[in-house]
Amino acid sequence: MSTTTSTPGAGSSRPAARRGHRSRRPGGRPHFYRSYGQELALFNTRPKLSGVGAIILVALVLPFMLADNLLQTLALAFAFAIGALGLNIVTGLAGQVSLGHAFFLGVGAYTAAAISGDPDGRTIGFGITNMLVWLPAAGIVAALAGVLIAPIATRLRGLYLAIVTLGLVFIGEHIFREWRDLTGGAGVGREAATPELFGFSFARSNALFTTDQNLYLLMLVLMLVFALGARNLARSRVGRAFAAVRDRDMAAEMMAIDLPRTKLVAFGISSFYAGCSGALIYSVIGFFEPSSFNLLLSVQFIAMVLIGGAGTVAGTIMGALFISLLPTLTRELPAYIPIISGSVTETPNVFQLESILYGLLIVVFLLFEPRGLFGIWIRIRTYWKGWPFSY
Amino acid sequence: MSTSSPVTRIRDHATVRPHAVALRDKHLGVWREYTWEDYWEQVQLAGHAYLALGLEPGDRVAIHAENRPEWLIADMGALAARAASVGVYPTNPAAEVGYLLGDSGAKVILAEDQEQVDKTFEVLDQAPDLRKVVYLEPRGIRNRYDHELLMPWEDFLELGREHRDAHPDAIAATMDAAEPEDLATLIYTSGTTGPPKGAMLSIANVEFAIRILAEEGAFTDPPPGPDDLLLSYLPLSHVAERIFTTWFNASAGTQVNFAESAETVPANLREVQPTVLFGVPRIWEKLLAGVEIRLSGASWFKRKVAAYWLKVADRLGHQLVANGGAHTARTRLVYGIGYVVFYRALKDRLGMRKVRYAASGAAPIAPEVLRFFMGIGVPMHEVYGMTENTAVATANRPGRIRLGTVGEAHPGVEVRIDEATGEILTRHPGVFVGYWRKPEATAEVLGADGWLRTGDVGEWVEGTHLKITDRMKDIIITAGGKNISPSMIENELKASPYVREAIVVGDGRKYLTALIGIELDTVGEWAQRKQLGFSTYKDLTAKPEVVELISGVVKDVNTRLAQVEQVKEFRLLPKELDHEDGELTATQKVKRSAIAQMFDDTVSEMYARSSS
Repeated sequence: MSTTTSTPGAGSSRPAARRGHRSRRPGGRPHFYRSYGQELALFNTRPKLSGVGAIILVALVLPFMLADNLLQTLALAFAFAIGALGLNIVTGLAGQVSLGHAFFLGVGAYTAAAISGDPDGRTIGFGITNMLVWLPAAGIVAALAGVLIAPIATRLRGLYLAIVTLGLVFIGEHIFREWRDLTGGAGVGREAATPELFGFSFARSNALFTTDQNLYLLMLVLMLVFALGARNLARSRVGRAFAAVRDRDMAAEMMAIDLPRTKLVAFGISSFYAGCSGALIYSVIGFFEPSSFNLLLSVQFIAMVLIGGAGTVAGTIMGALFISLLPTLTRELPAYIPIISGSVTETPNVFQLESILYGLLIVVFLLFEPRGLFGIWIRIRTYWKGWPFSY
Repeated sequence: MSTSSPVTRIRDHATVRPHAVALRDKHLGVWREYTWEDYWEQVQLAGHAYLALGLEPGDRVAIHAENRPEWLIADMGALAARAASVGVYPTNPAAEVGYLLGDSGAKVILAEDQEQVDKTFEVLDQAPDLRKVVYLEPRGIRNRYDHELLMPWEDFLELGREHRDAHPDAIAATMDAAEPEDLATLIYTSGTTGPPKGAMLSIANVEFAIRILAEEGAFTDPPPGPDDLLLSYLPLSHVAERIFTTWFNASAGTQVNFAESAETVPANLREVQPTVLFGVPRIWEKLLAGVEIRLSGASWFKRKVAAYWLKVADRLGHQLVANGGAHTARTRLVYGIGYVVFYRALKDRLGMRKVRYAASGAAPIAPEVLRFFMGIGVPMHEVYGMTENTAVATANRPGRIRLGTVGEAHPGVEVRIDEATGEILTRHPGVFVGYWRKPEATAEVLGADGWLRTGDVGEWVEGTHLKITDRMKDIIITAGGKNISPSMIENELKASPYVREAIVVGDGRKYLTALIGIELDTVGEWAQRKQLGFSTYKDLTAKPEVVELISGVVKDVNTRLAQVEQVKEFRLLPKELDHEDGELTATQKVKRSAIAQMFDDTVSEMYARSSS
């Protein structure tokens, strides 16, 4: 990490000095801050960098080890994680409780579906199947919707904001159900966007990979890009403004942070993430119908953020993976506990159990581990950081 | 060919490695870096400023500040202008500042802040030669004080800049004119007995110390270099810190990091993780006590693990000591396992993970303390020297350590023991010129043959290593006629984390007794764990439980001592000893005579009770 300039042109007035004779930067001293930038760095310590590298490496090897149906679940989990990262920006980072995440997800999903849809089909479609077009478009349209909502958020706080955003979900659900040309209508649905890049389709098997391996890798890479974006945002000036607003909006305003603008940006970026996530989730599944974008979906996202650890990128991804993999686990339950049924028509069944578990987990985490899964990690880390002392 | 001096060495670094880091100080939470180019530029400006103020070769400049870059800049700037620096301890009360200013006849004083400026103004009448009071921190001074002598540091440098514009070659000329016999600095000895005496060190003395200690690596192996980091935290007015900070930096190009304050040293150590670390016994004792306190507050599992590995460390320490400080294959393996699970983390928390050389000096230290640090993997060496010989005398060399000795004489240094008195004498080019304006005092210690009487009594161990018994004047002769070294017993007592000060008395008495000062941090923590309420230090020392605790320490130490050396009775000091109250010297050494006088009643009480 030496800052010795490699370009001979720079600082040419004293070239001999610039090169070679600079003593090495003292390494292996994580608390030795020689600039503020060092503390704000993306990976401020070497173990962090290598740890993240190792996890990414494992994630890249996984598709060759796991069964395809589990890979699809994971691909979906990654897509969900992008949405959760979005909610984390507005709720975890900027402290604005939003129950309307499902609405923005829907906006993104339908935008993408419409752009990539078949022009001669039953529903609206423009036939532009390139992901590079429909993915950003989905994000941008959702972000515009977010920006429209934001002015309300600047005037409300806490519970009142939650109720307004709750209303958004119901309005959205109604629109999606009624706008049959776009959505296909309730109970019918439509084709989702096709994951295609310059003619290369991820939704089909090819010589190298199966469909699920393709989708897994695509979603993994996209999630990493979005996660990197979120992490970078958090340490930027904007991200620090978000945190200041979350901690105390009045104090933030005293520090010359423009509240309306900050909240607007938070909603905009969050909705962008939601829109992209919506488009991606259903491009993995392939088909969707308007009733998907209900309150339960919003609650699921809230669960991901809270269980994972509000305000942290790694925690949110953990939470998203946990919640997405939860059904895979509960579906196994009927085999072990006979009173729980695997069928929708009987009571109690696994689907009810899932809903109960979401609620229960949120309550348990808020009560006992408010910092979420990430908090557990922090606790473990602190224990070993203090080694061999306790403080 | 001009005379080589620390300041010419800084100039050389500035041309060879202008953008390498020379100094760092912590500013608003971030370590601000001074490159060699910056350092040299400021030294030149300071030098020009002194010339602009009309300083002549041989004039004195006082520096009254905590360790910070400006200290070095003012010191080296003075050397560039052929003036000599006089370090004043930040803890010196006004009366002593007055004495130092008057005795040295300093023409300029660099005062750090309002507190130090106030001290100077209080004793202005004793310092008729003073022409300028340069202050560093404007808070409380700017726009409030109006005095013709006052000048802020920025204006001082600006004065230098103007002088340089007018006389661009003035500093180069004075540096070229410098002679080896020029006075480089006046270092005032702490004066446990009389008033402080200014030891005159010439450029030749300093250069000799640099050659032996830094270039030839009489301490470290390999010698210090530009990749070494040091933390500067002991008073720069003392010769030891001047060597490790100013002269190591100027000669070897080490990176000096200034601690924020005395209280933040443990935190700063953790941040900087120095590679070379010098400490006085008090620092090592305190670090050791800190480990014990924090371990006692750790969770059950951590405590058990620590207890096990500290036991192993103790064994390792003994084996290392037996082997001169070098590892055998077996100890290396055991240490390797311990390093992974315990020692690495412990050293990291202490800020000693990267220490390749640690040294203790300036006062005697208990071997237990050294052994502890050796055991956990800090290469610890006891070294010996004094102001009057520019701290060049003996050192334990890596791999040839004899615990309890101060090591072997450096190459090119003569050390002998007077057969009649047992006093240690040294002779080499680093022996000082004399005491400032005190020829009689100089004649007492410095013979015409060049041998310096150190005032320490010692003996040879195995013919090579020097063991110091005590200061000559501190040796106790009991009523039974036995010669006893109190400092050895005191250090055994001070090795306990609960004991901060111990003063053994018994000169001309039948047996030994001790005045013991407790360590407030550790004993306070201990009392809290015992649910023992206390309000003040005095209140704590009056608790029978605390007396019981210290009594246990004394008994434990007694088991390791010969019959005549055992401490039969002790009392706890009712107050913390303090420099300002005249009980300690500026270097935190106990003034025995002052203590004996102050606690005369307590001492006679200890002897009265048993005779009745």
